Amino acid sequence: MNCQTTEIKKGIKFHFIDTKNFKTNLYAIFLATPLKRETVTIDALLTAILRRGCKEMPSQEIISKKLEEMYGASFDCGIEKSGDNHVIKFYLEALSEEFLPQKEELTKKCIEILFNIVFNPLIENESFKEEYILGEKENLKQIIEGKIDNKGKYALDRCIEEMFKNEPYGLYKYGYVEDIDKITGKDLYRRYKELIETCKIDIFCSGTVEKEKMITLIEENEIMQNLKERTANYKVNNEKTEAKKSEKENVIEDHMQVNQGKLVLGLNIAIANNDARFATSVYNAILGGGANSKLFQNVREKESLAYTAGSNYNRQKNCIFIRCGIEINNYEKALNTTKKQLEDMKQGNFTDKDIENAKNLIIESVKSITAEQDTEITYYYGQELAEEKTTIQEYEEKIRAITKEQVVEIANNASINTIYFLRD
Amino acid sequence: MKIIESSRIKEKAYIEKLENGLTVIIIPKENTNKKYIIWGTHFGSIDNRFIMPKTQEEVFIPDGVAHFLEHKMFEQKNGTNSLDTLMALGIDANAYTTNDHTAYLFECTNNFYEGLDELMDYVQNPYFTDENVEKEKGIIGQEIKMYDDDPGWQLYMNAMDCMYKENPIKIDIAGSVESISEITPDVLYKCYNTFYHPSNMVMVVCGDFKPEDLLEEIKKRLIPKESQSEIKRIYPEVEKTINKPYKEVEMEVSTPIFAIGFKDIESLKENRSEIVRKHIAIEILLNLLIGKSSDLYKELYESGELLEEPSLDYEFSDEYSHILISGQSKNPKKIQEKLENKIEELKKGLIQEDFERIKKKVYGDYVIEYNSVGDIARMFLADKMKQINSFDYIEEYDTVTKEYTEEVLKNVFKKENIILSVVKSKVTK
Repeated sequence: MNCQTTEIKKGIKFHFIDTKNFKTNLYAIFLATPLKRETVTIDALLTAILRRGCKEMPSQEIISKKLEEMYGASFDCGIEKSGDNHVIKFYLEALSEEFLPQKEELTKKCIEILFNIVFNPLIENESFKEEYILGEKENLKQIIEGKIDNKGKYALDRCIEEMFKNEPYGLYKYGYVEDIDKITGKDLYRRYKELIETCKIDIFCSGTVEKEKMITLIEENEIMQNLKERTANYKVNNEKTEAKKSEKENVIEDHMQVNQGKLVLGLNIAIANNDARFATSVYNAILGGGANSKLFQNVREKESLAYTAGSNYNRQKNCIFIRCGIEINNYEKALNTTKKQLEDMKQGNFTDKDIENAKNLIIESVKSITAEQDTEITYYYGQELAEEKTTIQEYEEKIRAITKEQVVEIANNASINTIYFLRD
Repeated sequence: MKIIESSRIKEKAYIEKLENGLTVIIIPKENTNKKYIIWGTHFGSIDNRFIMPKTQEEVFIPDGVAHFLEHKMFEQKNGTNSLDTLMALGIDANAYTTNDHTAYLFECTNNFYEGLDELMDYVQNPYFTDENVEKEKGIIGQEIKMYDDDPGWQLYMNAMDCMYKENPIKIDIAGSVESISEITPDVLYKCYNTFYHPSNMVMVVCGDFKPEDLLEEIKKRLIPKESQSEIKRIYPEVEKTINKPYKEVEMEVSTPIFAIGFKDIESLKENRSEIVRKHIAIEILLNLLIGKSSDLYKELYESGELLEEPSLDYEFSDEYSHILISGQSKNPKKIQEKLENKIEELKKGLIQEDFERIKKKVYGDYVIEYNSVGDIARMFLADKMKQINSFDYIEEYDTVTKEYTEEVLKNVFKKENIILSVVKSKVTK
């Protein structure tokens, strides 16, 4: 299992993952551009408008019918933050040809559909279709306002917003309601052209298609031939660029009509050496990675304070988020128990068995990457953006080699940046 | 072992019913390093009244026992917790409870047989004490509160309330803080001894295995148990009408969410392959009605009344059966009205071209289910609980004709069986 990369032209790469694990082939195009307050909303709006139709297939209905004819191929697009980049993702999933009831050629169609939607939009008078712009503006407002709907996710987003105030990563990926109305059709088209000419473009294919055939299909595609070479404009984030120490704990409390309180702690990690991320992964797994972790064992099992209690490591930004869903009155108790775990980590109050368990957990999850097509694509894309290549084999070796001293060192360089609490 | 297969998607399943009554289903997958096992008992939140086969005692249990039992199974007599033990092996383990079954599972790339030791040990050895039962009430209490804040779950529970008067599907799977306060080790043991008998359980494994060898490994780990006669479950009579057509609550959501339900009162208990055909027809109909390429979806999306395509579900067992169309809209009543009109329009006859196209799409949807070992195993388990062979969805597909689908449309999508559940927005500052 591996991922082979070919440069189609400067700034545009094709990544091929050869796998027989699936009934489907998955094709994807990712566009990466630096996250900025000025463009975050317009980029989210653009993504939604592109989805509505392109020159060849001018409406969603036409696109959907075409995909349904291809045995329920499915198109999807979305927008993500990856470190300080705004990444626009387009996916098309279709059955492998060997599982069709009748023989049919789908690969070429898939590439054409994807390229058309992303690079050959429906343009009228230097603008997108007015009806689509108006409709998607309204939708985007609803999506942004909808961030309150999932309280757990909302609490995490708010913690990130506070922790990265006035920094790109603190921006909300769908942008801001107050920006929407003033965006004009001309602005959108201008931004679209700028984005397509400057962004980093990565094309992925995972499945049973032949690599050479894919490259030929891409290179001979007229739309691809018309794309310009570029010095791709995007941000490289990794543990070396993002090592930070927090000087004081920023305490934030929001009120909403909730039955359960959501406690989120954002931690910075201040070690910039090469393999720090592997040690940080182990640190995070011991602290809050699973049922054996300190947070799960103490906050949930021993003190019965929560149903959810754990932590996640965000590698691109080199920070850890601790999350617990708790009884609102137990805020102090849960916070103290959480802090006690951080202190124990600093003191090295964990066993060799804890380290072993944590390593097993990480290695298992890394080995499982190949079990899902989009997860595998996301893994390699993350490496592409961080400008590094670690095979799954190497990853395992690096994790195995982490010592207790390295984990304690991470613990002593972890500092609480933000304590966020969502309550009634 | 009995072998069933689907030549179309090139998959096989090996099935064996062991002497003690346990059904084992193994689906070999050569190309993957991932292994997935799930062990389920036919005991869910709706099984709240039954007669214990051994004593003939009738038992009526508090809401949420099946789920509570699921939580408590991990606790071991020697003080360890099986979830921790499995995780320590690098194994991703979990459990869940549904309306009609409870399942224990794990997935891994390494240490499968060590995991199997632990799984089969803890599921066969319950250990409930006053102390460990009390402790769990705090944790599950928080789980219940998490769902109290989940608008989607409240929407679903209210839809059930609209459709059913007495049916236990109305019961929240986790119960309530009050109902779980009544749970004791004695209740848990009664349920365990009744429902965790091998004859009431199904084990499904998917991954790179030789089925015969794996079956031997499973047999070795089974604890002998006396045979047990069938469990008599007592459910209220199937209700022929809906409970109420509309229910709304207010929660802190940005845009209202809605679920339009169709209660399906046509019983197909006797004929399993008919159930599969009907299910396929309903999937096709839902897509024709309000799927991504439908006129109705286009209209609702373009007028801003729908934010994205609604989710379309058909849920059924012998005790309940209904369709749910749910999504987000500022005007749920209007969606219902337009949907009703569209149904009447389709009842005049489906368009051949649309029918064929959607049928192709639905075929793809079924094949995609076979992309992951976890999806495959969970699907085989859930279907087996309903006495369905999962491959039938691929194999029966050809027999679903336009005429048959039109008949299902008339029988199931009836105006008098529609309900609407809405969570309205109430924004506090």
